[in-house]
Amino acid sequence: MNVHVRNRIQSREDQVLESSLVPTQIEFRNVSKSYGAVAAVRDLSLSVGRGEFLTVLGPSGSGKTTTLMLLAGFEAPTKGEILIAGKSVGSVPSYQRDQGVVFQSYALFPHLSVRRNLEFPLEMRGIKAGERLARVDRILQRVHLGELSDRMPVQLSGGQQQRVALARALIADPPVLLLDEPLSALDRNLREEMQGEIKNLHQEFGITTICVTHDQEEALTLSDRIVVMRAGRIEQTNTPEALYDRPATRFVASFLGEANFLESPFFEIESDPPQPVDTVPMIRPERLGITTLTAPRKPDADRRHAVTGTVDDMIYAGPVRKYNVRVGNCVLVVREHVTSGQHTFQRGDEVRLDWLRSDVRFVAG
Amino acid sequence: MLQKLGRIPIGLTLPALAILLVVMGIPMVRLFLASINAPAFSLSNYQAFFSQPANVRVLFQTIEVSAVATALCVIIGYPTAYLISAAPKRLQLTLIVLVLIPYLTSFLARTYAWVVILGDHGLINTLLLNGGVISSPLPLIYNRMAVYISMVHIMLPVMILPLVSVMMGIDKSLVAAARSMGARPSAAFWRVFFPLSMPGVRSGSLLVFVICLGFYITPAALGGLRDAMLSTFIASQVQTSFNVARLAASAFILLAVAGVVLSMIGLDLSDTQGRTAQRTQRARQRRLPPFGALRRYFGEGADHYRAKRWMANLYQAGREDPWSILEILYIILVMTYLLLPGVVVIIMSFSAGTYLEMPPSAISLRWYRSFFQDPSWNGAAWTSIQIGAMVTILSTIVGTLAAYGLSRTSSQLRGSLTMVLLAPITFPSIVVAIAAYLGLVNLGLIGTRTGIVLSHSIGAICYVVVIVSATLATFDRRLEQAAKSMRAGPLQTFMRVTLPLIRPGIIGGAVFAFIHSFDEVVISSMVSGFSIRTLPLKMWENMRNEIDPTIAAVASLLMLLPILWLGALYIFWWRSRPQLQSVATV
Ligand SMILES: Nc1ncnc2c1ncn2[C@@H]1O[C@H](COP(=O)(O)OP(=O)(O)OP(=O)(O)O)[C@@H](O)[C@H]1O
Ligand SMILES: [Mg+2]
Repeated sequence: MNVHVRNRIQSREDQVLESSLVPTQIEFRNVSKSYGAVAAVRDLSLSVGRGEFLTVLGPSGSGKTTTLMLLAGFEAPTKGEILIAGKSVGSVPSYQRDQGVVFQSYALFPHLSVRRNLEFPLEMRGIKAGERLARVDRILQRVHLGELSDRMPVQLSGGQQQRVALARALIADPPVLLLDEPLSALDRNLREEMQGEIKNLHQEFGITTICVTHDQEEALTLSDRIVVMRAGRIEQTNTPEALYDRPATRFVASFLGEANFLESPFFEIESDPPQPVDTVPMIRPERLGITTLTAPRKPDADRRHAVTGTVDDMIYAGPVRKYNVRVGNCVLVVREHVTSGQHTFQRGDEVRLDWLRSDVRFVAG
Repeated sequence: MLQKLGRIPIGLTLPALAILLVVMGIPMVRLFLASINAPAFSLSNYQAFFSQPANVRVLFQTIEVSAVATALCVIIGYPTAYLISAAPKRLQLTLIVLVLIPYLTSFLARTYAWVVILGDHGLINTLLLNGGVISSPLPLIYNRMAVYISMVHIMLPVMILPLVSVMMGIDKSLVAAARSMGARPSAAFWRVFFPLSMPGVRSGSLLVFVICLGFYITPAALGGLRDAMLSTFIASQVQTSFNVARLAASAFILLAVAGVVLSMIGLDLSDTQGRTAQRTQRARQRRLPPFGALRRYFGEGADHYRAKRWMANLYQAGREDPWSILEILYIILVMTYLLLPGVVVIIMSFSAGTYLEMPPSAISLRWYRSFFQDPSWNGAAWTSIQIGAMVTILSTIVGTLAAYGLSRTSSQLRGSLTMVLLAPITFPSIVVAIAAYLGLVNLGLIGTRTGIVLSHSIGAICYVVVIVSATLATFDRRLEQAAKSMRAGPLQTFMRVTLPLIRPGIIGGAVFAFIHSFDEVVISSMVSGFSIRTLPLKMWENMRNEIDPTIAAVASLLMLLPILWLGALYIFWWRSRPQLQSVATV
């Protein structure tokens, strides 16, 4: 039932995506992976287009790393098969898959200098010393590490190590780049800077990239497409905007951003066209308007739905203000951009909440 | 071939297992069968053992001596370890080195030192006689006291090193926390620090006790006739009548005592935590120290984070008060006990007379000259070096492969395989010696170099496995995956990434393998068949017959070796430290 609903929503979106897709580079066909009794990945099917930047997002333990390791060849699927450039790679060992991998901890070789680390993939491909030198110099420039080439990895800062790891993954021009939470060890500022850097490198090299993260902001900013995983399964796949705007399930809606579920019959949400019974109406906090009870009617009031409630709490968070408003037996979160001359509500104030009926989404419950 | 084996990691343990099986495993099984008169199953050999009161007395004496020596080691070693672990960093390092030096010194040389000190013409009696305190020599040697003094001296580092390592790992802020909650210093110690240090006490005691059970040389050299240990008894049985069935029964009784005590201590102290985890952990602790301790000490700082935390711990450490005069005296006393015998031998070795004097009335190098000129001495040394080198090469390769294979197998299998592989250093040495003797008889290798090399290697492999495993445990496997993602095949990955990073562990293992072989006397005495004379055999023969003071020069030279070892370990462990720091945790 739920699954059925989800599949319907899913397939509709997949059709949209499919048509716009470039040739497929990577394909998972009904891949499962279990470690003894633990099913880390279940029946996963996914295709990634050439040059696409795909982010795998999900809570801890949802099977993201496992998915990546399956693709990199460090683990073998229990069931199903993986195709790279149309060929099944079941029997291809990891060292023949031609992928750049950036590990969560970077995995720089601690006994080799930055230059020797970068040379490693070239040496393994039998590239001559002269050309190696040139290519290392080129990539070092590209990631702004020219002056650090003789340092050992321990002598680098976290961000520098990260760039070396990225450079090392890219230097041999692999057709596929795999990133496992590449930015998780960095502080916020550095992370944002590195996000920009990764995005640039991706655009420049046009390399098919799969990036694992559980940072939703990172996923939204970097990706062409996001895969949301939950307990080893794909919950939904779509572009960042579509995923945020039209989450297929309750899980995706609340995992990616915040969501108000208008479940109580009290809200009298009528849907047009009618939705299946097991869907739940949902609205994002920023789509809710908050006004005093006495405020004048808005011009588009006939397209809006309104309820009254009491402010439970106000949270000031820099550019936005968040209200928790009790409506009946529910609490709705309202997010409002801070502007000058705005009325600020206090705890206990009676308020009116309203929203455009078209902003309500129906998600599988 | 190697690539194929690499696919099945367990395959890498095969060479080690094969050597162990042929040299020791199969003979052990056959010994056991012989002891129960297989195929006609009977306990008559065991009955015969217990029907002789003398045997039973020796058995209980063995347990008693081992237990008392272990208790003494705990009593002396615990405070020492505590003071070392609480010392400022510089001093701490110095003290640990001072404990390591006797630990790495030939135990024959150290036993000899006590003969020189306690003997009728030894240091103490000479001093007392010359000072006119006594008129005839005191009976200091050839009694139980002498056995305890020398056994505790030999085993003390084996107790202190694991204790120090456990104590340094105790988060000192816990003690501080207890104090902040109103615990007086003594209460904080007993309620927090002491329970946390128990694993160290347990592993140290087990190790000391089991080694003591197998003690053979030291009691024979310093004890009286009535101080025979079961090992001595078994060894003399071998020489007089080689009745395999009787011998096997004695060996298995000794082994059973070791097994019972190990499991008893293990059970009593086990708490209610996850049982399997506990057991493997305990098994590891029992075997890893002191090498683990050593390795861990030198590897300290291998992990940046840990190092930082460690420094933080030192900072908050706990002990605001510097050592009291009493504590300083105590440490000096213990260090003197550990080091003085060596110093005495070195000084006496420069005696000019025909017998050793302390202090020497004139200085000469005659005993050193004698060592380098007498072919029976320098030949023995050369033989030992050659055998040691071969053992080192063989066991380092085989042991490293095994450790690598073990690190890639499931933890259950790893636990039991490690236990099997480490049997040669956990079984009393006389039992190993008898098994190896039978094994080499089967192979027709008694009295050959190959035979000695094989019989030394089973023990040497253990040290390599233990130390390399400890190194591999801190090795980040993602580095290998990273290499493979860059098109490095399994062999290239191993040679270019794994090997350079675990090299310090391999070097450490090699050093210990060499020390093991170079110092081995119990097994050698069984399998040499009188045709090959190693340096320890020559020394042992000399000590029993008290003929030639040249042994003092030899012992002195052997006492200088640890400095060489420490130098080598320093170069490979300490200097490679910055490279080993885990990149992930900066
Ligand atoms: N080697 C393994 N042996 C047994 N179970 C494993 C192993 N690796 C992963 N798992 C299990 O598989 C599941 C998925 O793990 P995975 O590492 O893929 O999660 P993840 O999504 O990457 O999580 P995180 O965000 O915490 O990194 C988890 O339940 C985990 O416990
Ligand atoms: Mg992960």
